[in-house]
Amino acid sequence: MKKSVKLLVITAIAAAALSACSKAPAKDSAASKEGNYTIGIAQFAEHGSLDNCREGFIQGLKEEGIEDGKNLTIMYENAQADGGTGSQIINNFIAKKTDLICAIATPMAQAAYSGAKKTDIPVIYTAVTDPVAAALAKEDGSSVGEVTGTSDKLPVEKQLEMIRKILPDAKTIGILYSTSEVNSEAAIAEYKKAASNYGFEIVEGPVSATADIPLATDNLLGKVDCLNNLTDNTVVSSLPLILDKAGKKNIPVFGSEIEQVKIGCIAAMGLDYVDLGKQTGKMAAKVLKGEAKASELKYEVIKDAAFYGNTKVAENLGITLPSELTDSAAELFKEIK
Amino acid sequence: MSIILGVLEEGLVYAIMALGVYITYKILDFPDLSVDGTFPLGGALTAVLVLAGVSPLTALLLAFVAGALAGCITGIIHVKLKVRDLLSGIIVMTALYSVNLRLAGKSNVPFFNSDTIFENPFINKVIPQGLSDVSVIVILAVIVLIVKILLDLYLKTRSGYLLRAVGDNETLVTSLAKDKGTVKILGLAIANGLAALAGSVYCQQKGFFEISMGTGTIVIGLANVIIGTKLLKRFGAIKATTAVIIGSIVYKACVSIAIFLGMEASDLKIITSALFLGILVISNGREKKVKKHA
Repeated sequence: MKKSVKLLVITAIAAAALSACSKAPAKDSAASKEGNYTIGIAQFAEHGSLDNCREGFIQGLKEEGIEDGKNLTIMYENAQADGGTGSQIINNFIAKKTDLICAIATPMAQAAYSGAKKTDIPVIYTAVTDPVAAALAKEDGSSVGEVTGTSDKLPVEKQLEMIRKILPDAKTIGILYSTSEVNSEAAIAEYKKAASNYGFEIVEGPVSATADIPLATDNLLGKVDCLNNLTDNTVVSSLPLILDKAGKKNIPVFGSEIEQVKIGCIAAMGLDYVDLGKQTGKMAAKVLKGEAKASELKYEVIKDAAFYGNTKVAENLGITLPSELTDSAAELFKEIK
Repeated sequence: MSIILGVLEEGLVYAIMALGVYITYKILDFPDLSVDGTFPLGGALTAVLVLAGVSPLTALLLAFVAGALAGCITGIIHVKLKVRDLLSGIIVMTALYSVNLRLAGKSNVPFFNSDTIFENPFINKVIPQGLSDVSVIVILAVIVLIVKILLDLYLKTRSGYLLRAVGDNETLVTSLAKDKGTVKILGLAIANGLAALAGSVYCQQKGFFEISMGTGTIVIGLANVIIGTKLLKRFGAIKATTAVIIGSIVYKACVSIAIFLGMEASDLKIITSALFLGILVISNGREKKVKKHA
């Protein structure tokens, strides 16, 4: 017993010595003088939508006069979808006394809130579909602490309306989603509720890991008229494979945001994650400048969904995108990237 | 300072699980993958219980029991149904994914505002506000020490000796007229009980359950056990259980250093693994020197 206590102390000292070696540069960056900010960006996983959020966030700050390299130091870390690493990243930001933590995606936002609760570091999140279900906001949208941000809730009704316009005869929509992502479950429930209003039936394709996707896709493609994508991290990461399989069967795949349409989904009524990031960046700027506390800001959602289409994909599938959609499109892609 | 606290926090939580892996991997020589399922099992159960108003301490105990039951199942599949060790672990781990999802109701269950072993009226009264960071470490250290001492004591009992004998020399156990199968099942039960206990502590500390929290648990567990026992091998007097706890802290320190160095986010894992390799090579070198001098 004594021995083990002693040893624990020794390791603690060793750890202290180790981190002391690399501590010197950190102190400089943490020194936040007036109008000179240090922020930590913690992103849960690596994929297009979340990357866009991050870029938008930095742009949003810049538009408010807080610019990377000038009066802003950015520390960026990615947890590679590992919760344990996520909390260590947050600990690191807290240790470096950043002025603000930006957390991207739900698990990261929860880890950041949980970690920073005891400090006075505000947390601004983005790409959290349902902040209320994630216990980051109260029912009325107000904050539960020094934490606020933006939600990437999907415009489900508008998406279904769009699918109906493009595919007047379709009856079934297949949706692949991973059972490990709470955002997707919420979205599926909403789709199921709204589908009948547009004469659709939703067929679920649940997967528990990336490895299940090929089989689940094959299974689903045999049953449905089209596929629809959520912002599910696991599924989006495997989108090229799904698009390839669907393309061979001539089944259109609808996306939920711009990046998905760029790489080969036929169309999406969706979010622009760069815009979402920008909106988040502006909230962060308010907090950094001291204009408002994070706890005073309600979480925000993007109000307008925009139409994105890919004419090349439509042509390959022998479908014409109706002009009422393309005329008001936020962006039309003529090739598959 | 708060980085070290962070490392200790994470390291101590995973040490509980690693002590379980030590039993299966080092003592029983059984590569048990079920911990990838039992670690989140403890978390799922805890989230549900705590939200239902059950005391967080009771949640810890029930998590241990649930994990032990799951461990029994792995053991029974292996011993009675004669399924290979690795495969019986995989079967239970896979099944537990669904069980955990069913149990929790959804893949992410936050309970930030509920009482936990780290935050409850009693703790808040006893420990002053400013020390709340340290209180987490103290509570974790107490739990880890209790687990370690109980495990050390257990390994000295008759049943504990049999457990060790099964890993070393199965024939001996049979010649003592004891059923080695039962001993294996018991070992797996304890190991997975500890994994679930760790999962429960982990969730109580973070304030939410997430279904993906179990992925890679066994990898961390094995690394903790191997780093710990390797690194402290030359200190003959140190108990293996202590070595495993230190191994867990060293493991998390490596990850933390990699993050702290602030390299490109994508390089995080390779730096972590380079640190592991460095530690193992250094401890190898030391071992040889000691032998030469002896």
